[in-house]
Amino acid sequence: MTATTDSPVVTPDASRRGARRRRWWLEVGWKYPLAAVVVFYAAFPLAYVLSASLSPSGTLTGSTQLFREISAQNFSALGDTRFWQWAGNSLVIALSVVVGAVLMGAAAAYAFSRFRFTGRRVSLTSLLVVQMFPQMLAFIAIFLLLLTLGEVVPALGLNSKLALICVYLGGALGSNTFLMYGFFNTVPRELDEAAKIDGATHAQTYWTIILRLVTPILATVALLTFVATFGDFILARVVLTSEQNWTLAVGMYGWVSDQLNANWGLFAAGAVIAALPILALFLFLQKYIVGGLTSGSVKG
Amino acid sequence: MSTDTTPPPVRESHARTWEGTGWGFAAKLVLMAAVNALGIYVAWSAWTVDQWGVLVGSLALVVVADVVYFSRRRLAGKYIYPGLVFLLVFQVFTMAYTVYVATTNYGTGHNSTQEQAVDALLIQNERPVEDAPTYPLTIVRSGEDVGFAVVDESGQVLVGTAAEPMEAAAGATTDGDRVTGVPGYDVVDLGTLLADPALQEEVLALRVPASQDADDGSYRTREGTRATVYSSSLDWDPDAQTMTDSTTGTVYSADGETGQFVAADGSTLTVGWRVGVGLENFTTAFTNPNYAGPFWKITAWTFAFAFLTVASSFLLGLAIALLFDDKRLRGRRVMRTLFILPYAFPAFLSALLWQGMLNANPDYGIVNSLFFFGARIEWLTDPWLAKLAILGVNLWLTFPYFFLVCTGAMQSLPNELEEAARIDGASRWRHFRAIQLPLLLISTTPLLIASFAFNFNNFVIVYMLTGGGPRFTDTSAPLGHTDILITMIYQISGVQGGSADYGLASALSIIVFLVVGAVSAFAFRRTRKLEEVL
Amino acid sequence: MRKTTLSVAAVATMALLASCSGGTEPEPAASEPAAASSAPAASGSLVVWVDENRQPAVEAAAEDFTAETGVEVETVVKNFEDIRADFLAQVPTGEGPDITIGAHDWLGSLIVNGVVDTIDLGGRESEFEDVAIEAMTYDGQLYGLPYALESVALVRNTELAPEPAPATFDEMVAAAGETDAKLPFVINTAGADGDAYTYYAFQTSFGAPVFVQNEDGSYTTEIGMGGDEGYAYADWLAEQGQAGEGVLSTDWTYDIANQEFSDGNAPYTVAGPWAISTFTDAGVDVAVDPIPSAGGETAAPFVGVQGFYLSAQSENKLVATQFLTNYITTDEAMQALYDADPRLPAFSTTAEAVASDPIVAGFLASAQQGTPMPSIPEMGDVWDHWNAAEASIISGQAKPKAAWDKMLADLDTTLNG
Repeated sequence: MTATTDSPVVTPDASRRGARRRRWWLEVGWKYPLAAVVVFYAAFPLAYVLSASLSPSGTLTGSTQLFREISAQNFSALGDTRFWQWAGNSLVIALSVVVGAVLMGAAAAYAFSRFRFTGRRVSLTSLLVVQMFPQMLAFIAIFLLLLTLGEVVPALGLNSKLALICVYLGGALGSNTFLMYGFFNTVPRELDEAAKIDGATHAQTYWTIILRLVTPILATVALLTFVATFGDFILARVVLTSEQNWTLAVGMYGWVSDQLNANWGLFAAGAVIAALPILALFLFLQKYIVGGLTSGSVKG
Repeated sequence: MSTDTTPPPVRESHARTWEGTGWGFAAKLVLMAAVNALGIYVAWSAWTVDQWGVLVGSLALVVVADVVYFSRRRLAGKYIYPGLVFLLVFQVFTMAYTVYVATTNYGTGHNSTQEQAVDALLIQNERPVEDAPTYPLTIVRSGEDVGFAVVDESGQVLVGTAAEPMEAAAGATTDGDRVTGVPGYDVVDLGTLLADPALQEEVLALRVPASQDADDGSYRTREGTRATVYSSSLDWDPDAQTMTDSTTGTVYSADGETGQFVAADGSTLTVGWRVGVGLENFTTAFTNPNYAGPFWKITAWTFAFAFLTVASSFLLGLAIALLFDDKRLRGRRVMRTLFILPYAFPAFLSALLWQGMLNANPDYGIVNSLFFFGARIEWLTDPWLAKLAILGVNLWLTFPYFFLVCTGAMQSLPNELEEAARIDGASRWRHFRAIQLPLLLISTTPLLIASFAFNFNNFVIVYMLTGGGPRFTDTSAPLGHTDILITMIYQISGVQGGSADYGLASALSIIVFLVVGAVSAFAFRRTRKLEEVL
Repeated sequence: MRKTTLSVAAVATMALLASCSGGTEPEPAASEPAAASSAPAASGSLVVWVDENRQPAVEAAAEDFTAETGVEVETVVKNFEDIRADFLAQVPTGEGPDITIGAHDWLGSLIVNGVVDTIDLGGRESEFEDVAIEAMTYDGQLYGLPYALESVALVRNTELAPEPAPATFDEMVAAAGETDAKLPFVINTAGADGDAYTYYAFQTSFGAPVFVQNEDGSYTTEIGMGGDEGYAYADWLAEQGQAGEGVLSTDWTYDIANQEFSDGNAPYTVAGPWAISTFTDAGVDVAVDPIPSAGGETAAPFVGVQGFYLSAQSENKLVATQFLTNYITTDEAMQALYDADPRLPAFSTTAEAVASDPIVAGFLASAQQGTPMPSIPEMGDVWDHWNAAEASIISGQAKPKAAWDKMLADLDTTLNG
């Protein structure tokens, strides 16, 4: 597989450099054009979004000609809407959910991974099954639930961001636990045992040793949760009834939900801006997701 | 209940690391105090508003929390409980409620309670008497009684109350066409009326008979300053639970089985109410001829769609994750960030975008004009191509997710395995097949199953991209080649049209859920076997 | 009104939102629907659902109302498409508003679900355009306060086609052929989904209304699209479709049709007032004419009416009715509504005031020749089959008579079980 076997043993500098080059191309270099292809595949359709966001005419797919007109009009028009207020709501809600979901998911995954208790298998299976309920029909129940809760604790009623956060956290145990569970299993048990012998309590082991070792998966779950929460508009629409509480997804959906009054330009500009936090978060979390973890201790 | 696999914690540890434990314990006490306080507050305020379900629920949750966290055992419980509470309250309850809805006839025409249905029927059947004039109205009071005073066409002042039909009032004073004073009555001005909700109720409910003859109808006001003669064609008898049509004499009696007012001849009144119908919706779900034909085709496609989506996007995501997890590559961070672009935009936007791009006419559809040399390819209207298009678009939407997951999961693979493999001279492919992939599958299989389930119910992509079309030509149900079970439910439950049947929709959802749940549980058990092997 | 909403929402809401009170004991109608507002304790307060466009106008009317009566009005902004489902779901729970803005074709479902109250204009019906009152009337009762009309009309690019549009479709296509535009005509076909709403005027010009009408203009539940008239229309679609003349195409979506017209590629299009700004922003000068007849009879488009509905469960009906009939039904408030969201006014004095605008006048002329879209609940069930049949005929995938027959059979199954 490696290119070295092909190259003659004794060579002048030039051919050695040539061989190294060839080897570089075979092993690494070809990945650059491939990356370009993948980026094209991923980004090309979104050129439409960018084009629509820069075009004052306000259609999404009316033409195959992209970027016919360039104007920042849509972006500046965002200032006349509640866009930034919604963005603030979205960020607050998504970040709270991320923190809650990561903490609760990691704790549950730790329990499933490290403790053997009655009903463990059944709980794992039920967790998996529960999240398969078609979400489309959840509204009735959630609406009713919040109506009732709101009578008791007004802060948890309809139109409360806190209530929405709680609803999202209801799904936190679902797939997150599984993603983390698999990862926790790969952290050698000897580490816990060593810590225990050193006299650490289970809580100390969890907070100071295990959580550090699973940073990549925590970061991954954080990102997945952020994206899911940030983009959800179905639950958010049910819960947040007044305009000043809307999230970006709900508010922006309103700009295009009626096709005949749709303002695609404004929507596209909003979508471009709304995608930025996700990309920024990914850029930031990448070093935790990929490498950068204390790989030494993972080896145990 | 919960037992640790490892020997019980060494007791001395608490003493030895007193400081650490102490802080931890203090934090725990504070937290638990807060939880208890919150629980008791909720229970108390539930009691004040008579919400017994919430009361019992919150007390139970707090008691369990105390037991779990103050017991030395139940270690697993300590870690699972917080998530479990949210799960129970916000997800399991949701499911239970859907089961409840499935046993009712909730839907168009059966939208609320009988009380509200009666209200609505009475509203709809009380109408102004033909050619009845509208008079400026003055609200008057005599002790407890509220009455109406108007000036009729001849300039005569008429006064009446619920008990006393309108009749001429002697000695009344007027200002133009409005009454300003009636002997024996106090005039209520508009400001007083608008500031007094109880009085408003009374005024709205007041019907002053136009004359001794009940058939002449009665004066009524809608907004406090005008009155018109109305007559009602329905009489509600709460004791007998009957509605009587006063023009035809037909008696409609409340039918608690169907939630409607039914006459002897079988005719019904427009507005019904919600009642339990037992398993009727499930029976309908299995016997409805509307979709008996396409049902199997749709089921097969649903499974194929979910499976192929997961398989293709997992493989693509995995391949990209593997190829670009290479320390020798420069600009990896930027590349990776660009790879997840499709994931950063709202899914419904992407679906609409692709719908435009896949337009068959190369003048409009950029896919045909750019990649297929301007050929006319019917991506969205040919049954097979439409399926392909849906899979393709969904691949585009989903691969970044698996790219992310695989990138994260690969970090758990021990490095020394790779080194060992390299030393053994194993080819990279072999290394991948024999070592990396099996390990990766362990941590990602539950996610594959979850993704399968998600796509099984992936309403948005199907609805936004093809709307289920192209339609089947051999059935009258509005279903098509790319419909999946969840869009089928949406179509046949009439939710989109004017006559929604949520009971049926819920029943169908439960059936679908049972199917996916069973398949997933089965698949999951297989995973566990895999895990035990390793 | 228009069928073409992108209904993820519909989906979502699926009205499912639902009812809710049914699960527990019959909800003691929540005591204060307006709890959020801080009205003076003595006076009531009103909650009004509006969409973003119309919020300022309603608030302006509310200001006078509050000043004169002391009753606070809280406007809650909602997405227009969500309103019907949310209203159906929330009114029974006591969470709903006192008043909501809405379209007249919701009426059927609002009535069957018992969530809407009647309105008594106190004899002022004559101050409104007839078609508006007719649309908001159901079984002889007026259920909403109409304020705006909308319908599609023939929009013409005055540069390409300076002459007023001919009276028939064929003449129009011929006239377009004399221009050097790429296409004679564009119309929203909603892609392969079909758009019977936009095409409806052509259908009525063959004498095939969607439902048979009674003498007084109200609709029965009997499908009116069958018979020779219906087949003639189906044949016409096939003739003009992609397998025939190619004047009509299922490649056109709303966006594409608008783009082609904005680019000056077609002299004529059928569009609603909502699309005009798209054209003028692109620098196209437009004129609006009634839709030409394709089948010989009057081409009557659907007319939609927007108005205000009063909740059947409102706790403040008297105040709400006072607000609607005495503060919204005024020249100023109606003008403000028009200024906030320029639809054709349903209030005659406002309509006259704005009719000097030739575009408004054009749409008004088209609307006057139209018929209200049926508001019977059955209307919601016909679109699917109807749109699909038209699309399959236009695209040439199906024979016109066979597709039309299948549609009629499917509709029969859907409507009559």
